[in-house]
Amino acid sequence: MHHMLTLCYKEWLELRHHRTLVAGLLIPPFMLTMLPIVTVWLSGFAPPGDMAEEMNRTLTDPALAQLSGLELGQAMIGQQFGLLFMMLPLIIPNVISSYSIVGEKTNRTLEPLLATPISTSALLLGKAFTAMVPAVGITWVCGSIFIISMARFTVSPAVFTAIVSPAWLLLLIIAAPLMSLISILLTLAISSRVNDPRSAQQIVAVLIIPVMLFFFAQTVGFVSLNIVMVMLLVLALAIIAACCLWLVVRLFQRETILTRWR
Amino acid sequence: MQVGSDTSRARDTSVNGDWAIEAHGLTRVFGKNTAVEQLDLAIPYGTVFGFLGPNGAGKTTTVRMLTALIAPTRGTAHVAGYEIGADNQAIRQQVGMLTESPGLYDHLSALENLVFFARLYNLSADEANHAAESYLRSFDLWERRKETVGGFSKGMRQKLAIARALLHNPPIIFLDEPTSGLDPAAARMVREEVKKLRAEGRTIFLTTHNLTEAEELCDLVGIFRTRLLRLDTLERMRQGHQAQRIRIVLGGAAAPWLPTVQALHLVEQAVAEERCLMVTVASVQQANPLLIRTLVEAGAEIQYVEPMDESLEHAYLRLIGTEGE
Ligand SMILES: Nc1ncnc2c1ncn2[C@@H]1O[C@H](COP(=O)(O)OP(=O)(O)OP(=O)(O)O)[C@@H](O)[C@H]1O
Ligand SMILES: [Mg+2]
Repeated sequence: MHHMLTLCYKEWLELRHHRTLVAGLLIPPFMLTMLPIVTVWLSGFAPPGDMAEEMNRTLTDPALAQLSGLELGQAMIGQQFGLLFMMLPLIIPNVISSYSIVGEKTNRTLEPLLATPISTSALLLGKAFTAMVPAVGITWVCGSIFIISMARFTVSPAVFTAIVSPAWLLLLIIAAPLMSLISILLTLAISSRVNDPRSAQQIVAVLIIPVMLFFFAQTVGFVSLNIVMVMLLVLALAIIAACCLWLVVRLFQRETILTRWR
Repeated sequence: MQVGSDTSRARDTSVNGDWAIEAHGLTRVFGKNTAVEQLDLAIPYGTVFGFLGPNGAGKTTTVRMLTALIAPTRGTAHVAGYEIGADNQAIRQQVGMLTESPGLYDHLSALENLVFFARLYNLSADEANHAAESYLRSFDLWERRKETVGGFSKGMRQKLAIARALLHNPPIIFLDEPTSGLDPAAARMVREEVKKLRAEGRTIFLTTHNLTEAEELCDLVGIFRTRLLRLDTLERMRQGHQAQRIRIVLGGAAAPWLPTVQALHLVEQAVAEERCLMVTVASVQQANPLLIRTLVEAGAEIQYVEPMDESLEHAYLRLIGTEGE
């Protein structure tokens, strides 16, 4: 345990000097928080949207049923952006974890590190934890800012509850950490096999596809978030995370990492 | 190959097993390329062992196997009494390692680097700070402890990397080319440090292709290129061929006697230098009596005849050949 924390502490100390990395870490959350807030706020003044689409949406989400045209427009925009938030736990840790093994390789610190009595699992967990803490922390902070802004800028309490629904909260509180864990583990697995952090970063492009699919499905009114769906999703994510952990432990061979890299 | 106890220094009382490092048939293959083949070693505690070999000989690969970083393809080894592959964590705790490149975190300060590694070597926070401070002070880096290592010179990094290898007070220390790329002053400083460690009775596995350095520091020397070509104490390595080379000091100039000596069929090579004849012979037993008799009969005034030390360089070059490097 103390090995893992020692490693995390070291990683965070190193981050202090990685200005570009930190910028890469903070820009997406900033954008993904400001954009929805501004749009939702502006939508409070906008005329009601396309009726056909609204009809569809009111059928899939009962929270939208009793809303007026203006309310409906704002609630829908808020819900869409609420989903985009789920990209944060995938994107943020990727920036850190793609560097975590590759960085040790290019620094040539991997060999002295592996020469110490740190266990492979402490090494992996330390690396994962290093990326997960800021990822989940930033996601939650941005989520809170979003909630507070929604409370302030929505035109009615009904719109607020439609956007900040129990299902969405569950997504933010439980699904987000699981998603970040999956993103980190996969990045670590790849990062131990490649020599360039950019190769390890590409995994994120694959990971955000499901989020985007859901986003578009909801846009066209095909689905909408509900609590049962989110609970099933959490279950699925937990299973996927466990599989990823198994995979990473198998893929991460101290020796291979050292010898495959020249 | 084993070597007599004449090399073993005062033994550490906390040691484990008979030998600090012991290997049997240690072999490592990379694809089709055999880097280390059938290495047998037995190094007593307290020995400074010089592992000599040209580039690509497999020295680093050997060090990596003995420090439990990579597994051997075949063979076994024990380090500090622990078997590699079975007790890797214990070996890592017992061993200090200076890797080929210093491998420090450029974005961390000198102090942060050392404390981090000390903690990984299971020192408590207090012990880690204390150990880091004492090495930074003794390596003259204390004043610069807060600077990030990225701005350090090569010599400073090497000192820091050596300090890192010593933090947890390991009985066995692997130094992979500790002075390569250092300027003479920094190299001297590193060698002085090795001497200190030697005086403390630690076992040191020193990889180098600097023969002078090996002569200065090592008790036991292994000449290696994929296979161990020779393992012996430094004295015996130097004496190895002494009987084959002799120096004959004459009363007058030696040059006139050179043709006489060269004419003898048992003489392989002869050189005259002022009053000395340096003669290489195939066999001392047969050649020397004949050689001396011939010279005396021809009227030479022999003042004395002495065996010549073979330098480590001779032994090395004879075994490795002059190609390579
Ligand atoms: N990870 C690896 N994968 C493939 N081949 C390797 C690997 N490591 C070493 N080798 C090969 O094994 C041989 C020995 O290499 P090694 O680095 O052990 O030599 P060395 O004696 O340390 O050389 P140097 O003096 O240059 O440091 C070389 O032919 C090298 O190409
Ligand atoms: Mg080497």
